[in-house]
Amino acid sequence: MLRCDHCLLEFPEREAVRDELTGASKVFCCTGCRGVHRLITEEGLEGFYAGRRWDEVGLAADPDRPVDAAAFRESVREVDGLKELDVYIDGIRCASCVWLNERLLAKLPGVRFARVNYATHRARVRWEPGSATLEGVLSRIRSAGYEPKPYTETERQRAQDAETKDLLVRLGTAFFLASQLMIYSAALYAGYFQGIDPGLRRLMEFIALGLTLPVFFYSGAPFLRSSARGLRALRFNMDVLIVLGSGAALAYSVYQMLRGGEVYFDTAAMIITLVLAGRYVEARAKGRASEAVARLGGLLPREARVVAAAGPSPDPGSTSSSHSTPSSTATAVTRMVPLVSVQPGDLVEVVPGERIPLDGVVVSGESEVDEAILTGEARPVAKAAGAEVIGGTMNLHGAFTFRVARTGDATVLSGIIRAVEEAQEHKPRIQALADRVTGAFVPAVLALALATLVFHLARGAPAHEALMTGVAVVVIACPCSLGLATPIAVLLATGAATARGLLVKSADVFENVARATDVVLDKTGTLTRGRPMLREVVLFPPRADGAGAGWSRDEVVALAAAVERRSEHSLGRAIVEASRLLPGPDRAARAFRAVPGRGVSAEVFAPDAGAPDAGAPTLAATGETATDEAGTGFRVAVGNRAFLSELRVLVPEAAVRAASPREAEGDTVVYMAVGGELAALLVVSDMLRDEAKDAVAELRALGLRLAIVSGDGPATTAAVAARAGVERAVADATPVSKERELAHIQGTGARVLMVGDGINDAPALTRASVGVAMGRGTDVTMESADVVLVRDDLRLVPELVRLSRRTHRVIRQNVFWAFFYNVVAIPVAVAGLLHPIVAAAAMAASSFFVVGNSLRIGAGRKPLLRTPWNGRERATAPPSSRDEARGNVAGEDPMPPDGAERPAPCRVSK
Amino acid sequence: MNLGFLIALSLALGVAAWLFFLWSVKSGQYEDPEGPKYRMMDDEDDDEKRQPPSRS
Repeated sequence: MLRCDHCLLEFPEREAVRDELTGASKVFCCTGCRGVHRLITEEGLEGFYAGRRWDEVGLAADPDRPVDAAAFRESVREVDGLKELDVYIDGIRCASCVWLNERLLAKLPGVRFARVNYATHRARVRWEPGSATLEGVLSRIRSAGYEPKPYTETERQRAQDAETKDLLVRLGTAFFLASQLMIYSAALYAGYFQGIDPGLRRLMEFIALGLTLPVFFYSGAPFLRSSARGLRALRFNMDVLIVLGSGAALAYSVYQMLRGGEVYFDTAAMIITLVLAGRYVEARAKGRASEAVARLGGLLPREARVVAAAGPSPDPGSTSSSHSTPSSTATAVTRMVPLVSVQPGDLVEVVPGERIPLDGVVVSGESEVDEAILTGEARPVAKAAGAEVIGGTMNLHGAFTFRVARTGDATVLSGIIRAVEEAQEHKPRIQALADRVTGAFVPAVLALALATLVFHLARGAPAHEALMTGVAVVVIACPCSLGLATPIAVLLATGAATARGLLVKSADVFENVARATDVVLDKTGTLTRGRPMLREVVLFPPRADGAGAGWSRDEVVALAAAVERRSEHSLGRAIVEASRLLPGPDRAARAFRAVPGRGVSAEVFAPDAGAPDAGAPTLAATGETATDEAGTGFRVAVGNRAFLSELRVLVPEAAVRAASPREAEGDTVVYMAVGGELAALLVVSDMLRDEAKDAVAELRALGLRLAIVSGDGPATTAAVAARAGVERAVADATPVSKERELAHIQGTGARVLMVGDGINDAPALTRASVGVAMGRGTDVTMESADVVLVRDDLRLVPELVRLSRRTHRVIRQNVFWAFFYNVVAIPVAVAGLLHPIVAAAAMAASSFFVVGNSLRIGAGRKPLLRTPWNGRERATAPPSSRDEARGNVAGEDPMPPDGAERPAPCRVSK
Repeated sequence: MNLGFLIALSLALGVAAWLFFLWSVKSGQYEDPEGPKYRMMDDEDDDEKRQPPSRS
């Protein structure tokens, strides 16, 4: 295995792309990486390679694929005669990536300014409209192997940003005032112990009052507003407690000032300041997570390539014929049109690797479409004229034209998005622990204060003194560290989660996950890999041992791959991918013939294709060779049973018997003949992820009930459920019935954590107590989820559960201790002996404890793996799952499970 | 030196720090808290294209 000099991917030697640029010989995994490397060296930015820290190998984007600029167009602004664009750059892994992107963009002619935010990976680029273009800027980013993603600021985001900034100013002001205030409070404390000149003391008190008022009325304004709302609804939320405690301390101090007693200005200001700090921390973490999620999501199309009508009334027949020949396709006028202006009846062209923009019926062309994202069906669906296509699904290969049937709100996708919005209203919400506690605590404190007042009145104390003793109870009871109890714990937990590859979008996720009782898993793309792979090879005649007649597994795979390399079928791609792990060079194929929907055949020669008559030493096991004037080779046919029958290949009864149970499980069985005789059955299926079994076992060990809900057929779903070790499985679920199934489970009192990846999971993810989306999904899915797995690793789900439970425990302790010190001091206040020192001590002790206790969250176990996608560490997977990954009956060679899992994002272009 | 002067001085210093803070928030210095530690190590400080444009 070699290692790519650009993206660090490991790959077999025979696929190496070599290049010599600066004297040194470099080796790359694909032409895309070579292109990026050339770009970087030509721009004189080799420093990138010295400074980078890449944890994840591979490219984020295919450098050769053109960028769809449509999604970015609306976010381009005009500033001082320049164009300005904010864009997310996906694939940034280290500071060097930021450096590289800034340099590459800045060196682009016409670009005047380029700056990338290290924290959010958001770039701001400005260019002269005359000398640079939007497309140029975007393809510059793409050509370096990064993926530009549009940053469109929604109204909500803008409001959130403004709020965070507002909070920061209020917090900064409060800190400034509070720190000044502490100076004067310290002087007053010292005066209490050592004596102080009354005039000076009066001065200090006035300054302290002057410093506290803006803290209460300016910095505390959000609490004042919120508690006013809460009181009107007769709800004692945390803000009510804050305002009550701080306001009572302020009023009490003013009263004491007039009477010459002790003042509590520091308590009043500190309560507001600390709670504000907690709020700011929370807002900041939330903003970051939503930025990161926006960066991850795959995009749905925003423009369609509409074929301009040839005549006044284009009839389907003529259009289809005009597209059947390549030459006329090239001349056919297509233009990119925003989706809103596409009308039903319009003809839209879709090229390979593109998402289908709208619902419609295919008019011409042929392709395979991956509909898993909407239907859960793992196998790609063949599309020819007359077939229906759904907007949002992925066209794999082959271009086609379809007639738009539905647009706007009528599309299937819009229906799902509406279902997501409806599910939003039904999402079960649990009140945060701190709010639940204060809801009971506030009335209790008020009752106690009233009782104190009555008690002191009954003892014959003067009315004003009794009243003030009652107020003192409120002052001391307000735990100012309560405002920190949850945010600090959540902040540290969010940090720990991010380090593990989990993006947590809101603060209450940890409490929700910790209380979950059920886990519902999607099948395709979540438990499985979501694309067909060669799972098993059944040899005919069965070979007991290395010796004897028949072919070995490797030979079979190599021969089949030689034929399939020429085809574009997704099943063929699975076989070709499996063959990449075999040693030795590829076999050459000739006289290739494809029968659509049936199979492919070709003549395959020995590796050294230059000398086909060399006797094919590695393949000389059988005498069956087809001969013609060019030399000897093997006639290899790969296809379904009908295809082989057509070629007069005898399919023995044993083969059919072997195939039927596998087909019943939803696998695809491909028959393969060599030299006119059945040689093997190739079983291709959507395989379970390597770590799925472990993850399921871990979740069960954590005491969670498990279920699978899939849009795929019952047999396939049941087979996957059995392999993963899950008993309950619901098949044939539509997006809406998935949500209903979830609601049904929740109706029994369960709290459900749902894991999914497709758009069809989005309503259910929204409905669940906690929705977890797999990384690399679409934007719709990620928006609807509460947690996003940045790394496509299912073991992160049990990790999330463990982290959440630990966090929840710490929050509970924090809330307890935040109250503890203040509650202990209440009797002092009831007795009328309260002193500012006591209040300050309670405040300091509880804050100290809360922060210290929260730090334990981060000090937990280290993240379980570092590198997710390359699978280098998959080698540590237990043998059971590795066998599953190999899944071969006859394979003798060690077939590392990682190779097949490799993402090779840049290989798409091949 | 009398106490009044010292108090005034401390308050003035505090207010100055506060105004400085307000300015730093306004000029967007809290928007990329990660960046400065890396940009500091950059050799090519003279690359004018990457300097923030003057806000008009």
